[in-house]
Amino acid sequence: MHEVSIALSLLDIAKGYCEKEGYKGVESIGVKIGKASGVMSEALLFAFDAVKIGTIAEKAHLIIDEIPVSGFCNTCNKNFTVDEPYVVCCPECGDSSFQLETGRELDIYEMEVLE
Amino acid sequence: MKVKVVTRILEANDRIAVENRKLFNNAGVYVINLMSAPGAGKTSIIEVTVKNIIKNLRIGVVEGDIAGTDDAQRVEGLGIPVVQINTGGACHLDANMINEAITDLPLKDLDLLIIENVGNLVCPAEFKVGEDMKVMILSITEGDDKPLKYPLMFQESSALILNKIDLLPYTDADIEKIKRNSLSLNPSLKIFEVSCKTGEGISEWTGWLQSLVK
Repeated sequence: MHEVSIALSLLDIAKGYCEKEGYKGVESIGVKIGKASGVMSEALLFAFDAVKIGTIAEKAHLIIDEIPVSGFCNTCNKNFTVDEPYVVCCPECGDSSFQLETGRELDIYEMEVLE
Repeated sequence: MKVKVVTRILEANDRIAVENRKLFNNAGVYVINLMSAPGAGKTSIIEVTVKNIIKNLRIGVVEGDIAGTDDAQRVEGLGIPVVQINTGGACHLDANMINEAITDLPLKDLDLLIIENVGNLVCPAEFKVGEDMKVMILSITEGDDKPLKYPLMFQESSALILNKIDLLPYTDADIEKIKRNSLSLNPSLKIFEVSCKTGEGISEWTGWLQSLVK
């Protein structure tokens, strides 16, 4: 449900950026959403389409780059990726000595703007 | 034209959270963000916490609910300052709501502020409000599958209160499994087994909380 808040934050950032740089509108916004971020891509797309109406990003589409959960195992000394939105142990050796590397992203990485 | 705009989507919220944190630090108040699913016992935990440590600490409460003032009335009955936030549909509290609410609280006269978030096991975990620590409650009756179903909240919290342990004999919930999976997600998680009904385990929780607040 908090995808609406995320979509509104996206619009605020887009609006602020266009006002500051003097752009007329936004055609697309590229975001990275980690699978462990707690945000559902489908819900975010739906929310964005609902809240963009009447804004500078009215015609914009959202490009979502879903980032899988990955980590580095200190025992195997190598990287791993999992399908779940969490890691409890290294999928190779089962050890719990690891660092998460990706999966918590909630970032904008680029926008396509109208000059 | 494509332009690189690299920023955290929740940057605005996080910025206000930092502002709140400064206000709290300046006032010398320790802040916990209390989160759980609806009905896990957030308000009951606040009640027993206040009753247990009221003599030593000055406590204030922010109540977050979608609608209604039932919780604020319960807390007001304890004779401590309380502010109710009605989110009007939003499923979580954010830093800006807290920023506005705390203007109605005598922050400088408080040692501890407890923010009761909206009942929800998903969204509140994502929004910082300026707290010193996040604490979550899971009631035994919710089932032992919750840590792996809702991992983010278990990962974000510093402490997990397992409430309603007096009901353990009447459920199939495996408390060891809850603890094992919670600790796998977050090895530094501090776990308390309590019952607001019987008072079991409450003094361990309040003793620990009190040691942090000083």
